Amino acid sequence: MTQKQYQIIRLSLVVVIAMIISQSLIYKNYLLPIAVVIVGSLLMIYVRRRVKGVLADERDYSVGGKAALLAMQIYSWLAVIAMFGAYSLEKYNPAYEAVAVTLGFSTCILMLTYSVIFRYYQRFKFSDKKLIYTVAVLILFLVMAVMTVRVFSGEDNWLCQNGQWIKHGQPDWPAPTAECK
Amino acid sequence: MAGANRGMQIIMQNKIKELRIKLNITQEELADRAGVRRETIVFLEQGKYNPSLRLAHDVAKALKTTIDKLFSFED
Repeated sequence: MTQKQYQIIRLSLVVVIAMIISQSLIYKNYLLPIAVVIVGSLLMIYVRRRVKGVLADERDYSVGGKAALLAMQIYSWLAVIAMFGAYSLEKYNPAYEAVAVTLGFSTCILMLTYSVIFRYYQRFKFSDKKLIYTVAVLILFLVMAVMTVRVFSGEDNWLCQNGQWIKHGQPDWPAPTAECK
Repeated sequence: MAGANRGMQIIMQNKIKELRIKLNITQEELADRAGVRRETIVFLEQGKYNPSLRLAHDVAKALKTTIDKLFSFED
């Protein structure tokens, strides 16, 4: 397979996957997009292996690294600014708090992930402590995942029951002013 | 002699284009032999990319020469 054929297949596959995902979301089917992404990724790996010639070399990886770092920095700055903006609008609409929390958490996770991977390549990839570091990182991510689920699960929230706002857990904000129907 | 990276204090120059023309091979062929994309050879010839030691070795081997003959440095 030539590189041009590979580019055409890749582009076609991306378009098809995007169409399937958008249709799945419209019909509220959330499992299909996951399956499609997995199948698409496997298909891309298969197609990539059949290409004769070099698809990416050390210069591409070097440029890719710089671009990834810059993209991460730009996203972090924008997300933090947007987070403060959302917090300042919280008094007009409590939903902005969820937006602010999501932006704040995503930025923290992104920077933490970058730091962990950077540290791994910098110090541990070729050392004897590789296994210990990998296990420590997995535990850290597990703890973070549990914390994230705890924050976003709505464990601490106000629930509308029988026309009244009932405290569920320990929400640190007053009951919503909106009418409970 | 082509190429100079003026962003650094040490200027690296190379004879890639000169030797490639002498051997009568295209950029595409050199890229195949060195295991990189043609664009990388273009950037190397123009002195806009500093190769890794491995790539420098591969390019030198493809051009039937050695790294020290292919690349030179000037303060």
